Amino acid sequence: MFETIVPLLIDGLANAALIFLVAVGLTLVFSVLRVLNVAHGSFYSIGAYAAASLGLWVVGAGLPGWLTFASLPLSAALVAVIVGPLIERTLIRWAYGKSEAVQILVTFGLFLILEDLQRIVFGVDSFYEDTPVQLLGSIEIGGVVYLTYQLVLILLAAALLVGLKLFIGHTRIGKLIAAVVADREISQAMGINTNRVFMIAFSLGVFLAALGGALTVPQAGVSPGLGADTMVLAFAVAAIGGLGKIEGAAVAAVIVALARVLAIYFAPELDAVAPYLVMLLVLLVRPYGLFGSATTRKI
Amino acid sequence: MPLLPLATGAIIALVAATFAFPWLEFVLTLAIAKGLAALGVAILLRGGLISIGHAMFFAIGAYATAFAMRDFGITDVFALILISAIISLVAGLLIGAFVVRYRAIFFAMLNLAISMVLFSLLSKFYGVTGGTDGLRVGTPTVLGMVLEAKGFATFLFYAAIAAMVLAGLAVNAYFKSPLGEALSAVHTNEIRLEYLGIPVRGVLLVAYGLSALLAGIGGTFAAMTIGHVLPDMAYWTDSGHLVLVAVLGGISGIGGPFVGAAFLELVHTLAAGVTDAWNMIVGAALLGVIFFLPKGLIGFIRPTKKGDLA
Amino acid sequence: MISYRNILCSAVAAAALLAGPALAEDKPAALGVGVFSFTSGGTAAYGKPGRDAAELMIERINAKGGIGGVPLSATYVDEGQGTEGVIAEYRKLAGDAATEVMIAALSSGNCMALAPVSDQMKVPTVGWNCDTHQLYLKDAHPYFFRPNGNTVPEFVAYAAYLIAVKPDVKRIAIINPDYAFGHDAAKIFTTAIKAFKPDVEVVAELFPKLGAGTYQTEISRLTAARPDVIFSNLWGGDLENFVRQASPRGLFRSSQAVLALGESSMQNVQIPEGVIVGVLGDGWWMSPDAAANPETREFAEAYKAKYGKWPVFPAMKMANSFLYVQAAYDKAMAGNGGKWPSRDEVAAAMKGSEVKTLTGTMQTRADNDGVVDQIIGVTAKADGHDGPVIGDMVRYKGADLMPPAGEDPIAWIGTLSADLPTKLPQPGSYK
Repeated sequence: MFETIVPLLIDGLANAALIFLVAVGLTLVFSVLRVLNVAHGSFYSIGAYAAASLGLWVVGAGLPGWLTFASLPLSAALVAVIVGPLIERTLIRWAYGKSEAVQILVTFGLFLILEDLQRIVFGVDSFYEDTPVQLLGSIEIGGVVYLTYQLVLILLAAALLVGLKLFIGHTRIGKLIAAVVADREISQAMGINTNRVFMIAFSLGVFLAALGGALTVPQAGVSPGLGADTMVLAFAVAAIGGLGKIEGAAVAAVIVALARVLAIYFAPELDAVAPYLVMLLVLLVRPYGLFGSATTRKI
Repeated sequence: MPLLPLATGAIIALVAATFAFPWLEFVLTLAIAKGLAALGVAILLRGGLISIGHAMFFAIGAYATAFAMRDFGITDVFALILISAIISLVAGLLIGAFVVRYRAIFFAMLNLAISMVLFSLLSKFYGVTGGTDGLRVGTPTVLGMVLEAKGFATFLFYAAIAAMVLAGLAVNAYFKSPLGEALSAVHTNEIRLEYLGIPVRGVLLVAYGLSALLAGIGGTFAAMTIGHVLPDMAYWTDSGHLVLVAVLGGISGIGGPFVGAAFLELVHTLAAGVTDAWNMIVGAALLGVIFFLPKGLIGFIRPTKKGDLA
Repeated sequence: MISYRNILCSAVAAAALLAGPALAEDKPAALGVGVFSFTSGGTAAYGKPGRDAAELMIERINAKGGIGGVPLSATYVDEGQGTEGVIAEYRKLAGDAATEVMIAALSSGNCMALAPVSDQMKVPTVGWNCDTHQLYLKDAHPYFFRPNGNTVPEFVAYAAYLIAVKPDVKRIAIINPDYAFGHDAAKIFTTAIKAFKPDVEVVAELFPKLGAGTYQTEISRLTAARPDVIFSNLWGGDLENFVRQASPRGLFRSSQAVLALGESSMQNVQIPEGVIVGVLGDGWWMSPDAAANPETREFAEAYKAKYGKWPVFPAMKMANSFLYVQAAYDKAMAGNGGKWPSRDEVAAAMKGSEVKTLTGTMQTRADNDGVVDQIIGVTAKADGHDGPVIGDMVRYKGADLMPPAGEDPIAWIGTLSADLPTKLPQPGSYK
């Protein structure tokens, strides 16, 4: 029994780390902007492509291998700084205050455009750059060899969760974001520049998505279609946790990951359906997610 | 009614086009099939509800056809359409009874969740559903007659046109009925409607059932014209495309979704070969329509009406 | 655009006809071929060599004056757009008389979908890579030819090879892609192994979806199951990802791996030495038979010069399919006094044909399925060649592993005798 439980837990947490990174940006953007960004998955895959390109360049230029570690967050930051403000200032800003149908459609249109743009820029080949995985080597736990990189990811995701909570609770910008989340009208009335907060929050969301994509590259590479699959997984996790709830996303990521890993171990045919089945079951009992609450209807 | 000659003209143009380019028959049959599903999505949009899971009813209609042929030996085209229609209607009412309690994002997400469960089940249960390879759909018979595949394709094209006209008339009548008027009112002000004693959930359930029925009929036409059903039919991007088709064409009337579907299928067919970037073209067209043409493409040829996307 | 190009083609052909009888008897200006392969998505890693080989073959055939004096002109269709789009493109191409023959498709799913369409439109179609044994199981397809062989001999061959090199195997694990190809291969392989050695146990059977990207959990699961042998028919980008992720985690050290489509990825990813790989047929360009054919060497050198890599087996399958089409036209024209053959005459010429290819022989059976030999070996290094090669090879006769037409193939595998692997040629015998 012990022989199965250990790999199960480690695989579960390693999966959860990646899934959390996928969903946390989506849920953060929703909590601040109240926009469900259907193009979120595209930022994830753009981050992956950027990290793969930068990493391959670092290796190709003969620079020291440890620089590939730095290239992961760096490429995510580049994507966020370039893409975030640009898209928030134009498309997303236009959609504020419009109906959900319009918001979803605008971001769906953006999703379609970004998917093809990636194909035009990066082609249809898969990219692979695993220097970080090679440098970290492997480690044997409970009779199963794991990549040390997988364990590092677990720590990184946990650190990111704590970091985000600290950022929102203890920095000036974070507190402004929290205020806007709590009550947009009153924040505005009190003189908070909500437009700026929106832009920062959106760019932060893009950064988190791109970082998720970047961190997946060393162990899984990147190929076309990653964005669409990631998007729907992010939806599921965000909805299970409660849209807009960061700790909800973390709990949901662990639940979904464990469901998937259990499926692969004991009922492989249920592997793909696991996240959505969990989503459906949770929403049946708690339609607004584990940590979410219903908003009052306005007359 | 000035729209009547317009609609008649459009149908004549469709038929004429297939005489000039026979391969258009297949493309247009498929466009009408998707137009039917988009019309269903448009009904919900009229009530202010956006579903990013409606492709599931398209898939239910399509798989119902495939299963009826494979497992029950039913081959008659009308029987197949009827069976698929009933199954998708029942599925729509069952799922609808649950989802119409929610609005906005939550309604969209629940539909997404259910459709993705269906998608994964269809892909995974290889033994029953053929997995990601899907199932083959043979050539159905027409009232006991065995048609050659080519003859059946032509028959199906005209049957699809007939279905489009019937669905158009029915939905038009529905929009004008008290139930249909109440649906628009849900969008405008739901709580006022409740104060008036109108059962909002009942109104929405009827709309949801009707939209599932239309999507299912679209699915059965798609299954028969393609000759194959696939789990991809239920994938979330296909649901997104259905909403896109409806909005692209215009959701206020019954013509819009069909105009949108025909436009999209033609762009897809003509763009293939010139450029791989047809998603980009479609995405840009969608943004263009949302920003500059809130009435949809059909707004070019017809005056503004209530119910346009605003 | 495809339609415009074809309209243009037809216009050119019509103009040629109008220009007078001096130009040609009734030969078209160009022989239109529809070529279907994956050129987008993760599957393109495998599909692109097919398309590259098609371009090179057309170049080479046209340089020698085309087929019967008519140059080939191809229209390429991307199977990555999904079955629905593939069918639509096929119908459109078939509706244009300028496209006289199709080479379609890579994916078994697309072949299953296109076969009935080919019968309906009466266009001779060559399935160049698809290999599902289900293709001709239920319905006959008089216009669809699949000379490259089917899944039954392909995977029975692996079972035979494995038993020959590892007769004490007890525990096997399987990781295949989640669609017909993966499920069929798993069934054929396990049925054959159990026919040869009834006490073998399947300790894990995983079907990750096509294009899954990451296999980390599956690798843990496989390791924990402690199998003697891991069998996989993952391919393209999936296979490369799996190998990259499994190698550092020691999976290939603890178990003997069988990567059925390994040859097609050997140049892209480092597969450890000693892994059992093959080419699903005889399409190994360095095999003794292929090496003895100067045409093959020339093709491989030209391919390497043009695309920077040696031709993997999908490229060889595509090249062989062009030879198959060429042979059909030659035969049809020889049969009708040198006149340009109709689509029907070309299909009739393909029926029952036996064609010498770059790597062996394609024998077409009465049901239009093909019989080819099966080459299997292990990954190895060779002096004087700048890439991985296959060592310890065996070449099984296709006919020895092919169930008779009309018989239930899985039931037939069950009847194979336990000592078959010892009666067949032994690993290392093909030199």
